[in-house]
Amino acid sequence: MTANPMTGPDLASDPQGWLNENPGLSNRQIFRHALTRFAEDESRVVLLEADLAGGGDPFAARHPERFRNVGVCEATMLDMACAMAHLGNIVFTHTFAPFGAMRACEQIRLGMAYPRANVRLVCDYGGLSGAFFGPTHHAIEDLAILRAMPGMTVLSPADGLETLLATRALIDFDGPVYMRLGRNRVSRLEAPRDGFEIGRARCLQEGTDVGIIAHGEVGVGVALEAARLLETRGISTRVVNMHTLKPLDEATILETAERTGLLVTVEEHNVLGGLGGAVCEAVCEHGLGRRVVRIGIQDRYDATAGSHEFLLLGHGLDGGLVAQRIMECLPRPRLVALAPDPGRS
Amino acid sequence: MPPNEELELLRERAKRVRRLIVRLAATPSGCHLGGSLSLVEILVALLGRVMRIDPRAPGSAERDHLILSKGHSAAGLYAALAESGFFDPEELVRKYNADGSIFTGHVNSQVPGVDFSTGSLGHGLGLGVGLALGRRMRGEPNRVYVICGDGELGEGSNWEAIQVAAHHRLSQLTLIIDRNGGQNDGPTESILPQAALVERLEAFGFHTLEVDGHDLHALCEALEAPTGTSPRAVIARTRKGAGLPMLRGKSAHYAIFNAEQLRRALASMGEKTR
Repeated sequence: MTANPMTGPDLASDPQGWLNENPGLSNRQIFRHALTRFAEDESRVVLLEADLAGGGDPFAARHPERFRNVGVCEATMLDMACAMAHLGNIVFTHTFAPFGAMRACEQIRLGMAYPRANVRLVCDYGGLSGAFFGPTHHAIEDLAILRAMPGMTVLSPADGLETLLATRALIDFDGPVYMRLGRNRVSRLEAPRDGFEIGRARCLQEGTDVGIIAHGEVGVGVALEAARLLETRGISTRVVNMHTLKPLDEATILETAERTGLLVTVEEHNVLGGLGGAVCEAVCEHGLGRRVVRIGIQDRYDATAGSHEFLLLGHGLDGGLVAQRIMECLPRPRLVALAPDPGRS
Repeated sequence: MPPNEELELLRERAKRVRRLIVRLAATPSGCHLGGSLSLVEILVALLGRVMRIDPRAPGSAERDHLILSKGHSAAGLYAALAESGFFDPEELVRKYNADGSIFTGHVNSQVPGVDFSTGSLGHGLGLGVGLALGRRMRGEPNRVYVICGDGELGEGSNWEAIQVAAHHRLSQLTLIIDRNGGQNDGPTESILPQAALVERLEAFGFHTLEVDGHDLHALCEALEAPTGTSPRAVIARTRKGAGLPMLRGKSAHYAIFNAEQLRRALASMGEKTR
């Protein structure tokens, strides 16, 4: 982690400039630098780690008095965080998603959600990003589990800028938050943004045939690539970045349903209980009677080695595969109507 | 160490707390009776003398903290808080498990004098470690007392927290183990014995004392011993159902008393009944 948040453009006042200056950072590294910088202006911020801080953590170097590595003790880390928040601190805790969200699950429930503690559990290794380390290091169920806890806010930012802006939003936020990051990508969305607001989805591009709702580094990237490929086939696609899974921006889901012919969710999470489940719940609850195509991890563990991309392909999480799946799901008359019109491809 | 007159007052208070617990056992919901009675003296020593607290300002920034990790003994804690002036004992009896009341069957943080809701075992010590470390990081001297059961020590999270507390030398923290030798399904000895507890806690880095957990003098002495540079553990040897002769030798983890049992119980504790 070579970037120095204290030189060059200021991360807080010029996030894009700072990101341009530090192009090689993954989102989880960006989170660390962002928290280090924002803690300069907020003395209540504390960071706890459970032996997965990696070497040279910028927060530990800059704010040693507010940093503790508790060792391989995820459960205790989260109980401690609850107590430190009780004293008025804004407590960030970090570990890998499978250990944070699942080993310490009851500590999240009783130490974060139930007392509505100002604890932020920030986990990388979301989804399959732990790839060849195997299913012990994958987290494909975390969002479903945490979404079910009353009072939890659940975030899954899509790129470096969003991670940085979300980290900023977590400083002032009141209540418990789970923020899920990946491990590998150095993702940068080519999408205009006017800030970041927890609970308010972003429409990244308008379209009328298909509405893709996605979250996270993989989900949103794949959705945009699929939309680009669909455009070349004359299929107009709306892409929504649902960076907040809870509270869910139902208005944007309803709007997307209204404006498009087919709803699709894309996420690096099991198709059960994550964004796919959440969108289905909203669509049913509002009686829309619409089909929702859920693209995500196919309710199985990946017990074979391989790159992140290789594992994602196995679940159809790829721009080309998503575009193909959508083509297959579009109402037939639409495809027939498209066929004799070569000018549109 | 408390003078004799103060000890006598504390003993009287312990009797009142026991009677109140027994009355809670005679409500329609009953209570975790055995484990509430075993920790009466521990609670009375802490709330009545050792801790810096003010019942009129339970949320004061200067307060010491008490976490009852064995949150099923809520009746014991509620009764001790009531008899320490945090709220009216009669209000407790009236509202205990009444619809919409704060007096739940496991400890509720909405009750005055309580920092954290507990009941799922193995969380209190981690919370206590966080409080002690958080207070120290702020340069504040507030002390933290965590009461665990001996059966509860089966939860691995306790041993995580014990390691963290010892490594960070959290001398503001005191762990009190209500060593009553019983757990939900029977004697700890036959289910999961906690052998060599003093040696284990010492090996983990806790300054460890073992006392008669029904001896207020000994408890106060152990809890008020000068603070060293490591966290402290006090193993309080207690009896499940202590102070209620009719429970001797019986499993009394949970009890719902009828009117006759209540009468007998109170009579055996020296209370005149009509």
